[in-house]
Amino acid sequence: MEQTEKTDVIITEGVTRVYAADGVPVNALNGIDLTIQSGEFTALVGPSGSGKTTFLNIISGLDAPTDGKVWLAGKVLSEMSGNELSDFRRDNIGFIFQAYNLIPVLTVEENVEYIMLLAGVPKAERHERVIAMLQAVGLKGVADRTPTQLSGGQQQRVAIARAMVSEPQIILADEPTANLDSKTGADLLEMMRRLNTGTGMTFIFSTHDPMVMEGATRLITLRDGRVDTDETK
Amino acid sequence: MRSALSHVLKRNKLRHYEPSIGLDVTDYYAYYFMILKIAFRNIFRQKRRTILTALAMIVGFALLSLTIGLSDGAYGNIIAMFTRNRIGHIQVHRDGYLDKPSLYKTIDNAPAVGETIQRIVGVEAWTPRVYGAGLGSVGEKSTAVQIIGVDVVRETAATRFDQKVVEGSTLTETPSHEAVIGKGLAKIVSATVDSEIVIVSQGADGSIANDVYKIVGIAESGDDITDRVACYLHIEDAQELLVLEGRVHEIVVIVSNINRVDKITSAIETQLNDSTLDVAPWQVVAKSFYRAMRTDQQGDAISRLVIMLIVAIGVLNTVLMSVLERTREYGVLKAVGTKPGQIFWLVVCEVVIIALGSVCIGALLGVLVNYLLSIYGITYPEEITYGGMKLKTLYAVVNIRCLVIPAITVMLSAATVSLFPAIKAARIMPAQAMRTH
Repeated sequence: MEQTEKTDVIITEGVTRVYAADGVPVNALNGIDLTIQSGEFTALVGPSGSGKTTFLNIISGLDAPTDGKVWLAGKVLSEMSGNELSDFRRDNIGFIFQAYNLIPVLTVEENVEYIMLLAGVPKAERHERVIAMLQAVGLKGVADRTPTQLSGGQQQRVAIARAMVSEPQIILADEPTANLDSKTGADLLEMMRRLNTGTGMTFIFSTHDPMVMEGATRLITLRDGRVDTDETK
Repeated sequence: MRSALSHVLKRNKLRHYEPSIGLDVTDYYAYYFMILKIAFRNIFRQKRRTILTALAMIVGFALLSLTIGLSDGAYGNIIAMFTRNRIGHIQVHRDGYLDKPSLYKTIDNAPAVGETIQRIVGVEAWTPRVYGAGLGSVGEKSTAVQIIGVDVVRETAATRFDQKVVEGSTLTETPSHEAVIGKGLAKIVSATVDSEIVIVSQGADGSIANDVYKIVGIAESGDDITDRVACYLHIEDAQELLVLEGRVHEIVVIVSNINRVDKITSAIETQLNDSTLDVAPWQVVAKSFYRAMRTDQQGDAISRLVIMLIVAIGVLNTVLMSVLERTREYGVLKAVGTKPGQIFWLVVCEVVIIALGSVCIGALLGVLVNYLLSIYGITYPEEITYGGMKLKTLYAVVNIRCLVIPAITVMLSAATVSLFPAIKAARIMPAQAMRTH
């Protein structure tokens, strides 16, 4: 891997998120201050309800903080319009969700190609990238299948291919191995680790999986919406 | 794997492509093709809901088409009866006659005017008429009558005068001091065929006009009011009685296509080029009838609106359900970079595709039903009267309005009701949307 200069890709300052559950305010995040640098392979850990998913949603602009600021690749998310946020996510962030969240009416190939269509990538290059990505995740033989025709592990590989294909700066993965058996989970983790070292992309996982925690270069523990511990290996 | 990825990813930086800046046309269409693809697949994925939505639109289209077909058929029939059998499509009078009819406001050179009119393309027939008011007596019974002098040959060709005679015979082609009287008038004065009617009136020269005519027929025009006073004479007999010396009060024109009345009216005006003559289409001649009919038609528009509202509510319900069920998918689309506007168009696109399909099926159904009803019609349980005309059967017509109005209405209402769910989908907060199941 080429050694590149580390930059701060994500900075959060006093990020707070309060939900109203049946009219009762619930603090999902309580003033999170964090800085994540490019190329990190970071695991967010903590018990259920500690705020891991909420934190991922907020740093990606999928949700808005009640208070505080998020800088992502030098831009303040709260200052962006809906369209700007969409473009920003499309060009800078890849998502891997626990529930895969593939578009059910599109084939594997189309799911991976979709983001590049949004970005206006020419057809020849789209095709080249899709083929390379599917090959990379070991799904070249199932390109014409729809998500319902795939196993959980295969769907998660498609999700990884979709997240990676546009070469984003950051990959956010919410419990990516939670619905997978241990072998498939290990394979996927290994693949993401290689992509991290091979391309210098920044990976941030929320996880309960000890295997993911073990593979992470930085381990941030959240508890009750606050940073409890922050260890770099 | 690593080399394959590195080869592709290092070589090209995706962020170089900005869709809003310098996007080549092929790729611009490729995205919209993908939107269409997603829309189509969503439509076929949720077959039951698609069928429900389409059914609401198809039934709405067919109902609208049928309403318009029957309405246009009924009014067309009424207008045809009213114009073809009575007032004609266009009338020519002396200036001011229509506003204030008078024995003295006459057309002096009716044959020349008639011949000029006949030469105009689209004119099928013309016939002159003379009008006068008088007192009619049969035996000891007397009543007010309207003298209507007709050119028997031309009137028969133009307004099927002979078919109005329900008893006895029509007038002879030469002046023979014969009369055909309305059915109502015959009843008032207890006249029968072969009775004699004495008519007293005023001549155009100021003299007292009176003469005796043999009743050869009883006529029924379809208008009870007219039938209570109408006394038809040969036009030359009427001119002699009223001392009009060849002059007439009215020239009735029949055209081959009623939809061209306005153009032919203008052509007649141009060809006659006579400021002392008024040329008026039937809508002006029978203002009150025309207005009443238009008001009725507006009432029909309200019923059409009600049908469309019911359809729109049905469509809104199914589309809204569809959007709610797919909240998670819209959240995902947004999360991966789909803009709110693109999600908006995806929802609208789905509804519009269903609407297009429904319009095609609805059009086939509407045309078929209207066509069958234009042949077999619907028989009224009881004869109804409209504008003095008796109607027994309601016939539909198949015309362009039966297709265009429902098509526009269904498409517009579908597009309109899709706006709310589309905006809802576009405004979805991805994180919240992806939490739904």
